[in-house]
Amino acid sequence: MTATPSVPEVPPAIAGSHLSKQFGSVQALVDASVSVQPGEVVALVGDNGAGKSTFLNCLIGVHQPDSGEITVKGQPVQFSSVRDAQRLGVDCVYQDLALAPDLSVVDNMYLGHEVHQRGLRGRLGLLARREMIERADDQLRSLSITLPSLRVPVRELSGGQRQAVAVARAVMWASSAVFMDEPTAALGARQSEIVCELMRAVAARGLGVLVVSHDLPRILKVADRVSILWRGRTVREADARDVSVPDIVAAMVGYHEDVA
Amino acid sequence: MAAAVAVPEDDRAVRRGRVGTALAGLAKSSAFTIFLIDVGLIILFTAVSPGNRFGSLQNFESLMYYSMVALLLALGMTIVVAAEMIDLSLGANLILSSVFGVIVLEQMGATSPDGVVSGHVDAIIVALLTCLATGLAFGFINGLLITKLGVTSLIATLGTLSIGTGIALVLTNGTDRYGLTSTMQDEFGIKQLGPFPVPMLLALAIALILSVVLRYTAFGTRTLAIGSNPIAAQRAGIRVDRHRIILLMISGLLAGLAGFVDLSVYLQTAVTSHVLDPLNALTAVVIGGTALTGGRASIAGTIWGCFLAAILLNGLIVLGITSFYQQIATGAILIAAVALDHFRTTRRLRVIRDRGDGGAQKAPSPNNQKEQ
Repeated sequence: MTATPSVPEVPPAIAGSHLSKQFGSVQALVDASVSVQPGEVVALVGDNGAGKSTFLNCLIGVHQPDSGEITVKGQPVQFSSVRDAQRLGVDCVYQDLALAPDLSVVDNMYLGHEVHQRGLRGRLGLLARREMIERADDQLRSLSITLPSLRVPVRELSGGQRQAVAVARAVMWASSAVFMDEPTAALGARQSEIVCELMRAVAARGLGVLVVSHDLPRILKVADRVSILWRGRTVREADARDVSVPDIVAAMVGYHEDVA
Repeated sequence: MAAAVAVPEDDRAVRRGRVGTALAGLAKSSAFTIFLIDVGLIILFTAVSPGNRFGSLQNFESLMYYSMVALLLALGMTIVVAAEMIDLSLGANLILSSVFGVIVLEQMGATSPDGVVSGHVDAIIVALLTCLATGLAFGFINGLLITKLGVTSLIATLGTLSIGTGIALVLTNGTDRYGLTSTMQDEFGIKQLGPFPVPMLLALAIALILSVVLRYTAFGTRTLAIGSNPIAAQRAGIRVDRHRIILLMISGLLAGLAGFVDLSVYLQTAVTSHVLDPLNALTAVVIGGTALTGGRASIAGTIWGCFLAAILLNGLIVLGITSFYQQIATGAILIAAVALDHFRTTRRLRVIRDRGDGGAQKAPSPNNQKEQ
């Protein structure tokens, strides 16, 4: 596995430090921190209800944390919406993939980022679909993703192919970091392996990758570091080579906290 | 770590390429199927009508007059349904717009209930703008109700259907207004370029524009994306609420225009008719292959669907058969068209499932890993 690229001068692609978030009487996040360097895959793990989703949603702009600081490439930021995060190059592959099944692969990849033709035709709102297809094709190729056609509706792709399209789309628009929420949850064993390789390919482009997953053995193999949440707190951050699945499970259920 | 990642593309995927293309062609042919039925019916009615009267130019023109208002409403309905909404208030909007238009014409002295009045071009233009503004505002209110109050489009427009019709009846005391300036009829309503009435040409031009917008612009792609998966559209940074309001305003604007066309052709209001128009529009839209669940829309299909209803009605009249049968036939075709579409969709999805990797949970066979 690759070594952790922990060069101190490079600011993290994205970092959240000491975030807290309360919903009514529920303290979903107490003190959660994570930092992802460019080119690094960090796994965010925790039991159900540990606050993984809330943490992720704070980092992508869906929720606004009550306290704590988020930085992108070292700059403190405040996201009031997903669009704010996207503008700063932070994108997300959602668990349900957020694809429009009736739209073609290329239209899905460019949804919200459409390219218009030049001149009068562009001013009339006409899309430069040929250019869009070429660029989407380049993008997919660079991640070694092959699809039968970019014009078929996403509905007609397999589960693994859809996942690949969602990842390629996020990577296309991300310039800092990509989050992946349970990317292997709906996939079979071999397609899960493919998605894990895709994570490395994304990191190899210098993006920070933060993965939320329950698939511990698999994610431990692909990640550089692991960050463990327990009841809204980051209880452990470790190099993925230094921890085993039983270690993580122990931390996830709060064993270390109890003895501490 | 090598970035060698391959997503399954085995021999089955290649085979699917051909099957998929053929099936995609079939799926797109809903509109074409209805077009063929239209042509078949025209040939049939022409052959069996006395003196081939159905095929006469005069009858062709009356078909146009019958379907132009319906087409304007159906076009608006198409783009609304494309974004997974429904607008049942289009008929009420038409009536209310035409009533406001008539009020303007009356205020500007362009009406005469007893005699004949012509001219008043300025009043006609103001009436047109009034109709359009009313339609636009009606659509805007629908949009606010749906997006801000969170009422479903079905309920919101069912409500505004009743409210709009009620306001029109209050304003007119439930009696139609007659005797509008005949200039709007001569210069617009029944003016023809060749066999084509000007309002029909206008409707077809709008259809062409909407077709291009749906297929080749970001606005159209976003409309279909909202209909296909509104959450995905939202996450892609699209302002879904704003987009929906704009769509309802466009369909409202077309209903307002339809109101003006109605006035221009008949030189009177029709406050108690048009209530069923949105249902007829919806029938034409669905027959034409636009999915009621959004994400898929065909403007051409809507045109052929509108003509289908007109051809059936007109054909039966020419044959001397009571036109009530038209309603029966249209209803049967609607159900058949939707059933056929459902059949096509399930068959296509079955083909994808048969590829083996369509079901996400299914473990694929090991031989489709492509080594690089």
